Amino acid sequence: MGKYVLKRLLYIVVVFLILSFMIYMIYNMLPIDKAAEMAHNEIKANRLLNYDERYQFWQEKLGLNGTKIERYLRWLGVYPYADGSYNGLFQGNLGQSSQYGKPVSEVIIEPMKNTIFINIFSVILALGITIPLGIFCAVKRGSKRDVGVQVGTLVGYSLPTFIVAIVFIWLFAVVLGWFPVSGMQTAGSLEWSSWDRFWDKMYHLSLPLIVMTFTSLGGMTRYVRASMIEALSMDCIRTARAKGLRERVVIYSHAWRNALLPVTILIIGWFLSIFSGSLMIENIFALNGIGRTYYTALQASDNEIVLALQMFYISISLVGNLLTDLIYGLVDPRIRVNK
Amino acid sequence: MSKEKNQDTRKGFFATLGRWGRRMFFGASKELTMDEMLAVEKLESPSRLAVKAFFRRKLAVVALIVLVSLFLFVFIGPLAVPMDLNYTDPLQANIAPNYSFLKVPGELENNIKNINGFADFTVGVSKDNDFFLWGNTKNTLTNVDFEIYPEEIQPGKIAHAAAGSDHIMVITTDGKLVGWGNSNNGQYGIVKNETDPYIQMPDHLLNGTIDPDQVKQLIAGYQCNVLVMKDGTMSVWGNKNAMLSLDEMNRKFTEGIEKVALSNYYAIMLREDGTVSGGQTLTFNMQSAYSTADGNIKNLRTYLKDRTVQDIAATNNCYALVMDDGSLVVFGAAEYGEKDVPTLPNGEKFAEIYAGTRHFVAISDAGNVYAWGHNDGGQTEVNGMSADQIFTGSKQTYLVNAEGELTEKVGFKGYLMGTDGRGRDVFTRIIHGGKMTMTVGAVAVIVSTIIAIIVGCVSGYFGGWVDMLLMRITEIFSSIPFLPFAMLLSYVIRTKPIPETTRIIIIMFMLGILSWTGLAKMIRGQVLAEREKEFVIAAQSMGVKEKRIAFKHILPNVISVILVSLTLDFAGCLLTESSLSYLGFGVQQPQPTWGNMLDGANNSLVIQNYWWQWVFPAIFLAVATISINIIGDTLRDVLDPKSSQER
Repeated sequence: MGKYVLKRLLYIVVVFLILSFMIYMIYNMLPIDKAAEMAHNEIKANRLLNYDERYQFWQEKLGLNGTKIERYLRWLGVYPYADGSYNGLFQGNLGQSSQYGKPVSEVIIEPMKNTIFINIFSVILALGITIPLGIFCAVKRGSKRDVGVQVGTLVGYSLPTFIVAIVFIWLFAVVLGWFPVSGMQTAGSLEWSSWDRFWDKMYHLSLPLIVMTFTSLGGMTRYVRASMIEALSMDCIRTARAKGLRERVVIYSHAWRNALLPVTILIIGWFLSIFSGSLMIENIFALNGIGRTYYTALQASDNEIVLALQMFYISISLVGNLLTDLIYGLVDPRIRVNK
Repeated sequence: MSKEKNQDTRKGFFATLGRWGRRMFFGASKELTMDEMLAVEKLESPSRLAVKAFFRRKLAVVALIVLVSLFLFVFIGPLAVPMDLNYTDPLQANIAPNYSFLKVPGELENNIKNINGFADFTVGVSKDNDFFLWGNTKNTLTNVDFEIYPEEIQPGKIAHAAAGSDHIMVITTDGKLVGWGNSNNGQYGIVKNETDPYIQMPDHLLNGTIDPDQVKQLIAGYQCNVLVMKDGTMSVWGNKNAMLSLDEMNRKFTEGIEKVALSNYYAIMLREDGTVSGGQTLTFNMQSAYSTADGNIKNLRTYLKDRTVQDIAATNNCYALVMDDGSLVVFGAAEYGEKDVPTLPNGEKFAEIYAGTRHFVAISDAGNVYAWGHNDGGQTEVNGMSADQIFTGSKQTYLVNAEGELTEKVGFKGYLMGTDGRGRDVFTRIIHGGKMTMTVGAVAVIVSTIIAIIVGCVSGYFGGWVDMLLMRITEIFSSIPFLPFAMLLSYVIRTKPIPETTRIIIIMFMLGILSWTGLAKMIRGQVLAEREKEFVIAAQSMGVKEKRIAFKHILPNVISVILVSLTLDFAGCLLTESSLSYLGFGVQQPQPTWGNMLDGANNSLVIQNYWWQWVFPAIFLAVATISINIIGDTLRDVLDPKSSQER
């Protein structure tokens, strides 16, 4: 097992490097010259300066001189700047956001908290609904209620998030007026007590959370149902029933445990993919999450944030892959042997 | 059947030869007995069984029918309903579904005194002085309902009526001027705030009355009104910032006016002495080079110097003058062939000219009607008819005879699914957007499937280091977070100077290249599994060629996986394309797709007031993806023998 884990870890690092190189090169295709921009600004303020000299100064300062490979390595933090210092991704430096005038790591902290909060909350909500529903459908397979749920989930996973969001906004925010249309807090709520502020935030987040949960219901329920059906058709279930065990015990103790593995793996993959999935929700509801930060940074050409968040998304998905692999390897010895 | 067969054999040698020939090309199935036919049925191929099983499921068949009709709708529809990509019209913006633009009320039809329309609604006055209104009479945003008349509007009491962009102006038989509709911009003359750039209705009109018989012309335009009396005096009121000539008209041109024509922002005035002026604002237009009918290029002002003008009209951006010699001069910015004046037969002269938003209609001295300009609703299809009077709406032409009877009405009937914020027909955009969405989705899914088949088959079939390499590449691609990465790529493409079509093609391939990994892994697994199965080993031991094993024994088992995934991925690609377009990183406006048509619905204003702008695209997108998913699900059930046994 140790060898397997090591192998996977090594492999993840290689993939990360390849992907970061790819992303960096794509990013380099953008017609942006920060050094020239800085030099221009300086010349504007003080006309006596020499442009070429200032340009070179900024290039060296920002680490933009040299070939693309050199710049990439410098950005990673394994190649020195002109003054011999290392300052890159590995040193925790994500660059300076041109939009906010702050280091990127500072800018993305608050949105990151929000996004994680929203995602964990919606995952818990979704699991709380889908697992019982999926089990129920699998047990009552072929009944009218099962068919109804099947049709409902089919519609659910066929609809794009934004359509669900628009319909829900129309229904719950516009027609019924239960929830605010967008935003994360009431204006002027900063002076409120922290308890009131928390409830205000929850009030604003409820509609996005409902939408997120609703959109994930379809696929998850179907998956839980499918793996539960598979588990129920196992021989051990027949044996358990033949033994005269109560149906409850058969379902929850024998079948569900067998169905748990694929479901767990799905949940991990899904939980990690939801980070990029919440991009849509955050934009529709104007929530201050990393998805929205990414979107506005792209629109405003704030490329340091784009690059940093892109790397974050990639790391998340790599970690997800690693976790899935490890759990598979842990549970199913054949996989370890095969690779 | 057997009798026929016997007769057949009796016919002798040539019949036998013919039968052999038939057998050679069409097989002997016709001569099988009933038992043999049943035997054939039992040995049906799995694919035929699957097709039969598919068609036994009602839901799947319905979904298939819906999908096929959607396909026909979006791929044949654009041929029937052409779209002008760059067309926008602020006067037609945000109109609810309405198909009554040409529905002249029955009581008015044979009794017409006047019809007038400027934007999306039209007013009419009958000879009995009744008032009529048709078209889009409600504005959802401002909650203006033109059908709620002020109390002065009584049957038999209306002398003149004019429709503007968002208001109606009426003169009653008592000589009172009444306006209603949107009043936020001083449209009907009452100015609440001194600093507003509005011109108030002259005091004698606002508080007093006039003799309705002395009114020569009452017209309304883009938030403005013009009243010309028979003694040549002209009064104007309304929004100076909307109607740019209004201030100058108010100051300089108050007397000696014969007729006024309003374009969207400017006015042109015909004086009683037959000269024409557009004020300062139109001087530039009138000084521009004008090519006369005989091909000479002249300055329009010098051309007009010694001539007199008989009649004038103005579309949104063009102005037409009928000269005293019966020739026609059109100037201004022509977008839709407003300057393509038809040549009249010898001896005929233009007598009168009328204009809609983008089309002109003229009557010759022989009473024949000629129309040209924009023909998006058929409003110019009146050539060769004759009329005594012509009235125009924005996109409509009404021909009326001397008795005031409507002889012909042509033009734009209305919007089946309303219009968007730029005045474009939602229905047309849904058809064309569907074509784009479907094309992008189909190309993306084909690209991804081809890559997946190649990678999966090569990887599974060859194994070894090829498999190792390809699988590592697959895993790299599957680690890419889809939406953010697609946004980044699309953003990078946007900064490059590439034509729009190339950009769309790049997006199609981009979607395909980012989404092949799942299927490739599945195909590889399937190929690996099939290779190890007993029937393959049996085939190998029987000496069947490797190629035949690959295509006859392994591929059919993989095909079902590919087919199911192709269908389900198609729905997935439709969703990702529309999500990207919705975020503004896919196909860009003005090119419509179902995703970017919903882009405008990103605020509560649109969601609340203009439901048709998001409901219709959303329904089409949802119906398409749901039916594709139903088909894919059913295919999976049907093609998987295990699941069909269970049922």
